[in-house]
Amino acid sequence: MVLDAGMIAIGAGIAVGLCGIGAGMGEQAIGAAAVGAMAEDEKFFGKGLLMTVIPESIAIFGLVVALILLFVFNA
Amino acid sequence: MLKPTKMTRVVIAGTKDLMEPVISTFHNLNILHITDFLEENETFKIGKPLKPASKMSEYLLSLRAITNQLGVKGKESQLSSKSGELQSRMDEKISTLQKEVSSRFDEIRNLEFKIKEKEDIVSSIKPFFGLPLSLESYSGYGSIKVYTGFIDTDLELQLSKITSKFELFTGEHEKRKVFALFIPAVLADEVQKLLQDERSYSELKVPQLIGNPPIVLDGLSREISDLKQKYAQTKAELDNIKNEYSEFIIAADEYLSIETQKAEVPLRFATSPNAFIIDGWIPSLKYDEMEKELQKNTGGLVHLEKIEEDIKEEDIPVELENPSLAKPFELLINTFATPKYGEIDPAAVLFITFPLFYGIMLGDVGYGIIVAAMAYFIKNKFKTGGLNSLALILFLSGVLSTIFGFIFGEFFGFPIFNMEVRGEMEYGLLGIAGPVIAGLHIPVHRFGEVQSLLLLTFAIGIMHILLGLTLGFRNHLIEHGLKHAIFAKGSWMMILIGGVLLIAKLMPALTSKLPMPTGDPVFIVGGVLAIAGLILLIAGEGFISILEIPTILSNVLSYSRLLAIGLSSAGIALVVNTLSMNLFIRPNGVLMGKGIVLALAGVVVLFIGHLINLLLGILGPGIHSLRLQYVEFFTKFYEGGGKKYVPFGYKRKYTEE
Repeated sequence: MVLDAGMIAIGAGIAVGLCGIGAGMGEQAIGAAAVGAMAEDEKFFGKGLLMTVIPESIAIFGLVVALILLFVFNA
Repeated sequence: MLKPTKMTRVVIAGTKDLMEPVISTFHNLNILHITDFLEENETFKIGKPLKPASKMSEYLLSLRAITNQLGVKGKESQLSSKSGELQSRMDEKISTLQKEVSSRFDEIRNLEFKIKEKEDIVSSIKPFFGLPLSLESYSGYGSIKVYTGFIDTDLELQLSKITSKFELFTGEHEKRKVFALFIPAVLADEVQKLLQDERSYSELKVPQLIGNPPIVLDGLSREISDLKQKYAQTKAELDNIKNEYSEFIIAADEYLSIETQKAEVPLRFATSPNAFIIDGWIPSLKYDEMEKELQKNTGGLVHLEKIEEDIKEEDIPVELENPSLAKPFELLINTFATPKYGEIDPAAVLFITFPLFYGIMLGDVGYGIIVAAMAYFIKNKFKTGGLNSLALILFLSGVLSTIFGFIFGEFFGFPIFNMEVRGEMEYGLLGIAGPVIAGLHIPVHRFGEVQSLLLLTFAIGIMHILLGLTLGFRNHLIEHGLKHAIFAKGSWMMILIGGVLLIAKLMPALTSKLPMPTGDPVFIVGGVLAIAGLILLIAGEGFISILEIPTILSNVLSYSRLLAIGLSSAGIALVVNTLSMNLFIRPNGVLMGKGIVLALAGVVVLFIGHLINLLLGILGPGIHSLRLQYVEFFTKFYEGGGKKYVPFGYKRKYTEE
């Protein structure tokens, strides 16, 4: 049982960690482009910010998987 | 609400002598969106600016230069000046101002330059204090070469290897050795090489001045203080001018801006040798007011006509129209794109969904109250503009956060009510069990009810997306007709509803190894709906559209952030509280059990932790709530690309007619 809980915790950690890396890889390119666009025209701040957080979904999916593991499977 | 303001196209024609009163009338009304006349032909040319245009812009240019030099800012004036008065004194005042300001400004520049120059000389003299020579004795020789500089090694020793004919003076400046070396000019090459090989050597230039360094410095210091005094005096004079004239400058700037705007507007008209035509748009409700005003000011000599045929929708300017509470949300719409004239304006929908999503995500009474209070403060500080809109949005979001914080039973991450969570008793701040309101047991614990809350977020997502599709259906219906609307949006609605029914019945069967619910009527209806929707989609948009099906799934899953963001923020708060309480403030349940110093450190940890979490809590839910609107909701119906309604006119702040 203790081993199970540990495995679940490790699984949750991997889910969040890998998703975070993936989201980061997505965001780096968009972020760089958004900063470039903002240097041209400051009005792009809103759109740039938004575009930059789009890959954040991936991180959130990871978080959701982790939450399900921790709170639903662990119960 | 939901629809942009209705616009009417008007054309105004008249003889050229009436152009000025017509321009004035429209400028005062501030409602006409002028369509620029671009295609010149044999009869009609683009109009020429009115006579005063060039003079006005000239004034404006000099006035702006003066404004910059004096550093006058907009808020310093509150009084209203009469336009007529301004006009009569304009010429005289601007030329005096120009004379007074620009000469003083030049002088200040000049003085600054001189002070800098003298100060440079002062710093170049200082190293020579250590040497017993007056400044003129370093130069003016025919057969002697002079070297001056810093050096750290013993120069005399090295020189003696080359020659005995030299004179060396040494001294000290700021803990470095200064030297002046006099040698016969014939030895210059050799000594030069010796010095260059010496790493610690750096050359010093002797200033071209006469006298002993301390005396010279004295004289210079006196000159500098004189210059500085003069500088301060001129600066004070400029400040006086600024105080005296800033009111005039601000009012004149506004007056001239208005006059230039009026004088240059004929560039957007069509004119023949004797007549002019203005083509534009006004809000339909304002037509009568405009007609009355125009006839009054021109004696009924201008021809005015409504044009109702041959109107292209993309030409109509778009002015969003919403009740005052939903108005700030237009900011979020315009950040994305201005809607087209025929499109739904979703500001009123955002008024409900944006704060709702924000509230669900932040969901903490403490944070909610702080956000609302901060927004209220900003709103009162900035009465207009984007910041005011943003503050109102944030205020509503803060209020909703407080309400959801009560429902979730959280106050800065501490539980408010007593509750049993996952088998353990949790004691709240109030020390009582939560109330039951309308059948809902408060608190709904976010960590305890993850599964059901997750399902709830999906349900919210499905409703939100369905609303988006419905609005899209309506837009397509108006723009392209019923058939197209059913193909493009109806099909998606069927797939979404059918898919939800299918999954709802399928999931229990899959997880608990029950037989497939093939006989269940809900399952059958769901399957039929989904397949019908799929067929419609392929018929309407082609086979490739199948690739889009996973998008709708990820759209729905995306709403899980409503729970996830909140949990991560609540998690951080929990960590901060546990850390500071159990480790510092109340170790093992004893208040200040490890001394007052550690308890105070705990308070600091608590404060900083919550501050960081609050900043994240303002940014995160804001961006993610907006993202759900823009990415998941808007893509279902919103196209944008409308032309913004920009009326010809000016909102006077510092002047009156």
